Amino acid sequence: MTLGKTSPAKKIGLFSLSQLCWLSYPVTLLVTLLAFYGLMSFEGDSADWQLLTDSYFLGVLGFTLKQSTISSFASVLFAIPIARALNQLNAQRFKNIFLGLCLLCFVTPTLVVVTGLVALLGRSGWLTPYIEPLMEDNSWNLYGLNGILLAHLFMNMPFAIRIIHQQLATIPDTSWRLAKQLKFSPWQRFVIIEKPVIQSAGLMLFGFIFVLCFNSFAVVLALGGGPQSTTLEVAVYQALKYDFNISEALALAWSQLLIAGGLYACFSAMGTPVWQSHEVINQTTRPYPLTSQGSRLRLLALCGMGILLLLPYVALLPSISLFFTADIWRLIMQPLLLSIGLGMTSASISLVMAYTLLQPIRSQLKQKRSMRVKLLEQMATHQLFAPAMVISVGLFVFLLPRVDLDRWGIIVVILLNSAVLVPFAFQKLKPRLIQFDQQYDRLCLSLKLNTWERWKIEWAFIRPSFISAASLVFVLAAGDVAIFAIFGPSDWSTLPWLIYSLAGTYRIPEASAASLLLLLVCAGALWLLQLVANRTAISSAEPSTDAEP
Amino acid sequence: MKRTSLFTLAASALLTSSCFAADLTIYTYDSFNSEWGPGPQLEKSFEAQCQCDIEFIAVDDGVSILNRARIEKASTKADVLLGLDDSLTQVTRDEGLVQAHGVDLSSLTTALAWDDEDFVPFDYGYFSFIYDSSKIAQPADSLKALINSNASVIYQDPRTSTPGQGLMLWVNAVYGDEAASAWTELAKHTVTVTKGWWEAYSMFLEGGADYVLSYNTSPAYHAVVDGESKYKAALFDEGHIAQVEVAAISQYSDNPELAKQFLSFLISPEAQHIIPTTNWMLPVIDNVELPAPFSSLITPKRLNFTPAQVAEQRKAMISTWRSSAQ
Repeated sequence: MTLGKTSPAKKIGLFSLSQLCWLSYPVTLLVTLLAFYGLMSFEGDSADWQLLTDSYFLGVLGFTLKQSTISSFASVLFAIPIARALNQLNAQRFKNIFLGLCLLCFVTPTLVVVTGLVALLGRSGWLTPYIEPLMEDNSWNLYGLNGILLAHLFMNMPFAIRIIHQQLATIPDTSWRLAKQLKFSPWQRFVIIEKPVIQSAGLMLFGFIFVLCFNSFAVVLALGGGPQSTTLEVAVYQALKYDFNISEALALAWSQLLIAGGLYACFSAMGTPVWQSHEVINQTTRPYPLTSQGSRLRLLALCGMGILLLLPYVALLPSISLFFTADIWRLIMQPLLLSIGLGMTSASISLVMAYTLLQPIRSQLKQKRSMRVKLLEQMATHQLFAPAMVISVGLFVFLLPRVDLDRWGIIVVILLNSAVLVPFAFQKLKPRLIQFDQQYDRLCLSLKLNTWERWKIEWAFIRPSFISAASLVFVLAAGDVAIFAIFGPSDWSTLPWLIYSLAGTYRIPEASAASLLLLLVCAGALWLLQLVANRTAISSAEPSTDAEP
Repeated sequence: MKRTSLFTLAASALLTSSCFAADLTIYTYDSFNSEWGPGPQLEKSFEAQCQCDIEFIAVDDGVSILNRARIEKASTKADVLLGLDDSLTQVTRDEGLVQAHGVDLSSLTTALAWDDEDFVPFDYGYFSFIYDSSKIAQPADSLKALINSNASVIYQDPRTSTPGQGLMLWVNAVYGDEAASAWTELAKHTVTVTKGWWEAYSMFLEGGADYVLSYNTSPAYHAVVDGESKYKAALFDEGHIAQVEVAAISQYSDNPELAKQFLSFLISPEAQHIIPTTNWMLPVIDNVELPAPFSSLITPKRLNFTPAQVAEQRKAMISTWRSSAQ
C-alpha cells in the first residue's frame, strides 16, 4: 500500500490507495474546524482576549497547570518502583492479572471512580476516620486539590505502570546475564540497565498524562469543590452552560488548545515515543536475579498496591443484590445493548481511521522525513489536546439548524466518539506497524508481493495490537457520557447516561448497580479481547505460514 | 466485529428514522420526562383529551431548553418550551423566543402572585437547606445563623445549577453589599460545591454534610416514597427564595392553538394532581389532593427577586461569588 515507486499499488481512478489515505487528514481536522466555525459563526462572536488579563483566567490557568503537573509527575514517579518490582518478579499469571487491573483502572468511567472515591474518602467514607488523625489539623477534605489528585493518580498511575513495565520487559536477557557476570550491585543494575529505558519512556509518559490531566473535565467537575479549583475545560463548560458566553468560551478554548498542544509537541519532540516497542506477551524468562526473600517482598508490595487499586470498586459491591430483581433488568437492558453497540461501532470506525492516518506516516518514515512525521502525528492525534467541550458544543451549534439531531443524533454520537478516540487507537497501532516496516519491509519488497499478499502478512503481525486497541477504544466509547449528553436522542439511553438519570431522580442504589454493570462490561470486554489477542499472538508467531499463497 | 457494527449502524439508522413529527412538540428537561417524572402520565392524560399526538424532547436541564431554542431560532421543532424557571423568563422574552399564551390564570394560587402574559407556571418550590433531624436537633433558624455556624454544607454551583443560583439570590437578598464576606464565611465550612442538584443531594444522603441546598418539598419525597421522616427542611426567618417552573408557547410554533390548550391543561386539577408527586414540587392551584406529608412541609415567607433583577445583576453576583467563595 505504501511501497512507493516500485509498488504495484492498485489504482482507484486517478489516485492510488496510498494517496487516498492522505484524505483522512482533512477528514479528522474537519470535525475540529467545523466545531470552531460553529461557535464563531453563531451571532458572529469572536474570542474575548481581554479575558486573558483577568485575574479569574490567571487563577484558572494556574490551577490547571498546578494540578496537571503534580498529577502527572506523581503518576510517573510512583509507577517506576512498582513497574520495576513487577518486571523483576517471576510470576506470569500474577503479572497478567496485575497488568489487567492496571488497564481497567485507566479505562474505568470517571463516574465510577468518583463514586468509589467518595465512598472511601468522602466525609463519611470508610477510610476517612483512619486518615483524619494523620492530617495536620485532624481534618480531611476530599474535595478540591486532594480529590482531583487522587482520582488522577488512580486512573493514570496504573497506565504508567503498564507502559514502564512494557519498556522494562524489552531489556534483553543478555543484559541481565552480563550484569550478573560483572557482579553489579542492585543500584548499578538500576542505573546502568533500567534507568535509560525508564528515562526515555518517562518523559513521553509524563507529557501524555500531563495533557490528559490538563484537559480533565469530569473529575474536576465532580471533585473540584468550588470556584477555586477549576480547569480551563471546566471553565469553558461554565461559560457555555448558563450564559452561553461564546466569546469567553472561545478565548478559554484557544488558550487551552495552544497550551496543551504546544506542551504535547514539546514532550513528543524531547522524548522517544513510549509506544515505539510493541507489547511483550508471555515473556517467560526470568530476567532479574532475585533471592526468594526479595521475591516475596515484591509480591507483598504489589499485592498491597493491587488492594489499593481495587478499593474504589469494593464500594460498589453492596448493590449486587439488586441484580436479582426483575425491575433492574427491564431498566438496564436497552441501555446495556446500546452501550455495547456504540462501543463496537466507535471502535471499528476509529481503528480504521487510525490505520488510514498511519499510512502516510509510514511512507514518510521510510523516506526519513522526521519533521513531516512529527507534524502529521500532531495532526492525527490533535483530538487529544483539543478542548472536548468546544468540539461538542461547537458541532452542536453547527449541526442543530442543519440536521434533525433528534433523529440522527445517535449517528453523531458514534462518529464523534470515534473521532475523539482516534488518538488512542493511533498510539496503540503505530509501534507495531512501524516495527513491521522495520522488520519486513525490505523482505516484502524483494519478494515483490502485491498489496493484498502484503496486507495479509501485515494483518497477522498487527492483529494482537489491533485487538487490544479495539478493546481500549470500545471501553472508552462505552463509558462516554459527555458526548451522549449533548447529542443523544432523548428517548434512548446508554449505561453511563442511565447512571446520571437514575441518580438525578433520587435512585442512588439503582445508580450504583448500573455502575457495577458498566464496570463489568468494561472488565469483561478487556478480558475477552485480551484472551483473543493472546491466542492470535501465539498463532501469529510465525507469520510466514500465513503468508503462503 | 466489523460486520456486527455495520449491522448496529444500519439498525440504529432504521430505528431513529421511524419516529414521525407529532402534532405538538414540547421541549423539556430530562428528569421531567423520565420514567418517574410527570412527562409520561401527562402525555397519556392530555392525548386522551385532545385526540392528538404529543412528543417530549428532553434536554439536559432548564437552561439547555433556552439555549437550544436560541440556537435553532425559526427552525425549531418546539411548540412549547416547558421547564424554564422564573429567573430565565426575562432573557427568553428578550430573545423573542415566546409568544403570549392567552391562558386564563385566575385559578392560580394567590401565594404565587403570577400575572405574566408569556409564561404559565406549572409548579414551584422554595429553596431550602435540608438536614437529618435524627442528627441535628436544633437546626439553624436563619441564613445568617447557618453561615456563621460551623455546620458542614453542600451547595450547587450558581453558574450551572438553579438551586445554586437560588442561593446566590438568597445571599444577596439577605446580605446586600456584604455578600462577598458572607461567601467567604460560608466557604470555611463548605464541603463542596457541585455542578448539579443530584450530586449534592446524593452526597448528603450518604452522610456527606450536615446541610444540603435543595427544596422545601424534598422531605415529602422521602416520606411518601421511602416512608422516611427524618429529613427536614430548615425554616429561615429572613424568608426563602422561590423557584417557579414555567412553560411558554414558542414564537415559531406551527400549532399555537393546541399549545395553548396544553398550557391550560398544565394548570388543570388533573395535571396538578400528577406533578407534585412526580416532579416533587408544589402545585400552582389550590385544593389539590396530595399525600399527607405535603401538609407538614414548611411554608416560608417569600423573598422577592424579579426576573428583570436577575437578568441585570447576575453577572456581577457571579463574579463576586467566583472571587470570594474560597
